[in-house]
Amino acid sequence: MHEVALANAVGRQVASEMQRHPGRRLVALDLVVGVWSGADPESLEFAIGLVLAESPWPQAKVRTRREPLAMACRGCGGEFEVEDLDLVCPSCGGLDLEAVRGRELRLESLEIE
Amino acid sequence: MAKRIRLEKRVVAESDRLAKELSDRFNRAGVFVANLMSSPGAGKTTLLEETARRLGAELRLAVIEGDLATDRDARRIQAAGIPCRQINTGGGCHLSARQILDALADFDLGGLDVLFIENVGNLVCPAEFDLGEHRRVVVSSTPEGDDKPVKYPIAFHHADCVVLNKIDLLAATNFSLEAFRRYVKGLKPRIPILELSCRTGEGVEQWLVWVRAERRAVAAKVARAAR
Repeated sequence: MHEVALANAVGRQVASEMQRHPGRRLVALDLVVGVWSGADPESLEFAIGLVLAESPWPQAKVRTRREPLAMACRGCGGEFEVEDLDLVCPSCGGLDLEAVRGRELRLESLEIE
Repeated sequence: MAKRIRLEKRVVAESDRLAKELSDRFNRAGVFVANLMSSPGAGKTTLLEETARRLGAELRLAVIEGDLATDRDARRIQAAGIPCRQINTGGGCHLSARQILDALADFDLGGLDVLFIENVGNLVCPAEFDLGEHRRVVVSSTPEGDDKPVKYPIAFHHADCVVLNKIDLLAATNFSLEAFRRYVKGLKPRIPILELSCRTGEGVEQWLVWVRAERRAVAAKVARAAR
């Protein structure tokens, strides 16, 4: 729902990184969108497209990759990927879990030339 | 020639930085901060009105209210006798750390014991934004249905306390307390679930007990860290 705010944050991070590479052109940016990041990849790509359209690199491509949700079990220390929100540790049946991956929205890399 | 630059940067890094700044300010001032989230109409404001009436003489309370529009909630809180600052987010779906920093200009933090942040009524977006709070509270209510925890798991998984409001309406709904408890505990086994009714007052005392206890626990932790 707040993809525009996130897209603006991405735009600021890209602009700040591009300042360190004068004379280069942004070709593409890669984002990792966790299943539990609260962001929708499609809306995000759309919103970032709008931000980039106003930037010096209107042609740059936005690529998103979905990151599955992974939980660590505090009981046995095991880690597992969660499907269908089945929040039970498959090794020990434990319920005390902590999200270790799939929470974040990260700007993974930029492709420049 | 094309070149790849690896960044691995959290997109909300700037927001996280501001949240850390807020957290430091709260700890320096010795004020306990709870961030309340719920869908619209679950009863966050009513819970805070009730808290103001019952705890206002014992602790110095204040509230920051987040809504898309109007100062209706702020006026309700002020009428209950405690200072309140309204933030209107316009179309914004959550309160941001920047908005809280700006709102703090209106408060003497050192003169407060507890600050409640009532987030925008929305169980999705507020869960993504740290406001430097010590505790997160999700308020749910019986007319919303018992399956809210599994439909909005992120908010519940990252909460420290769940308040289930409007238990006086249980008989009028098909809400199953047993199912609700099971869903919440499945997402967070040790979380307290406080079942209460702000309208009849039933169970509200356990919420006050939680606020007092968490405030003491946070104060002790901050004091240890400062040593």
